[in-house]
Amino acid sequence: MRMRGEARQYYLGYLWWLMEPMLYVAVFYFVFFSLLNTRQPDYLQFLMVGKLTFIWFSKSVNQAANCIEINKGLVAQLRIPQALFPVATVVEGFYRQAVVFAFLLAFLAATGYTFSAAWVWLVPVILLNAALITGCAMAAALLVCFQRDFRLLIQLGTVFMLFISGIFWDINSVQNAELVTWLMRLNPVAALIDAYRQILLYGSAPDAQVLLWALAEAALILALMTLAFQRLQFWMARRVITR
Amino acid sequence: MALLTLEDVSMRYEPQPGATLGEYSVFEGIDLALNAGERLGVIGRNGCGKSTLLRIMAKIFAPSAGQVSWAPGVSVSLLTLGLGFRTDLTGRENALLSCLLHGLSRVDAKNAVPQIADFCELGEFFDSPVHTYSAGMRARLGFGSALVNRSQVILIDETLGVGDAVFREKARAALLDELTADRAVVLVSHAEAQVKSLCTRAVLLGEGSILSSGEPTAVLADYAAHYQ
Repeated sequence: MRMRGEARQYYLGYLWWLMEPMLYVAVFYFVFFSLLNTRQPDYLQFLMVGKLTFIWFSKSVNQAANCIEINKGLVAQLRIPQALFPVATVVEGFYRQAVVFAFLLAFLAATGYTFSAAWVWLVPVILLNAALITGCAMAAALLVCFQRDFRLLIQLGTVFMLFISGIFWDINSVQNAELVTWLMRLNPVAALIDAYRQILLYGSAPDAQVLLWALAEAALILALMTLAFQRLQFWMARRVITR
Repeated sequence: MALLTLEDVSMRYEPQPGATLGEYSVFEGIDLALNAGERLGVIGRNGCGKSTLLRIMAKIFAPSAGQVSWAPGVSVSLLTLGLGFRTDLTGRENALLSCLLHGLSRVDAKNAVPQIADFCELGEFFDSPVHTYSAGMRARLGFGSALVNRSQVILIDETLGVGDAVFREKARAALLDELTADRAVVLVSHAEAQVKSLCTRAVLLGEGSILSSGEPTAVLADYAAHYQ
């Protein structure tokens, strides 16, 4: 229902689900391909896989950062677990992303990237991505509940992630191979984007070890956040209502 | 049987950033029981903790000290002025959401919506976004939703005061009719007439505790005398 409300606010409504990510792709393409002459083969496809999957993470986490404040009215009147709000935000984001994924796969198929056995890997990678987003969304909601300033830091943080996660450049182009491994181990978002590229563009299975690190990190964040939301229910309500 | 019991309940607020006020106590040692079939009025001056008390009753705040116990399976609905709606959604969507959030099944919720629409008498506004509503219209929607969603305890925070005379009368009649023996209402109000005509019992909250409790007319008289 919230999505309906949101779509109604804009003249182009649901079309924005696709237009927003594609406008980003267009700008990056113009800067890096046309102006800076990046010579990554099939740069448009390379960029689309990176950006269209990253935007799922960045948009969900940024929206979740505001979700408890937006639902202040419900928090003040109903005893419901507050984790519901970031989780609902993530579910909404998932619906939007389903449309984006369908578009991405159709575009790849139309430009010669045909279905391969490696695509089976998409299922665990998408699930892992969803788990990571849920954990980070809960963390974002909790931090903003603690101090509103975190909203700005989270915005900055996702822009920072956009630069270091290899969206418009290939993380494997870093000369030091050990550094690449650690970049991906410490930043599960980078690991996932590289995995999507391995699967969709190169038709190969992603590095399972790197994905296991990402899985461990996502599970840790999720577990910590579930615990925090259980413990802090009353504290969060007071925080949101009385400030 | 008591639906809800407060024993020796205290509430303190920690200092807020930017506020000169340090930690302060809203009330201390409150003992209060709400029985089925009862309509309890809570009166007192602004800032005496009436809304805080309702939020503790609604399980939204935990008290700083003391015990709050609810009879098993009791559902509680809190109505606060101007809160509780997604203003970008229509009245109809909000009514449905309210029923779902109060635990009605999807089918029951859908069936309850026409009843809410009837009660609120919002006409075409029922299908307009809530941000186009006046305060009184929001109050109608909130009250209508809470009445129908079968909450056993309805906590009303000054919401009825903003409705027009016709709606106030209708709300009063509905509270008297719909309030079967297993339900209860707590009404926070500054309107003396409302407390007198609706409530079976009243408490006066002030100076951090319950100053007076009992028959509404008597408690209202204490209120007037105390703050002369």
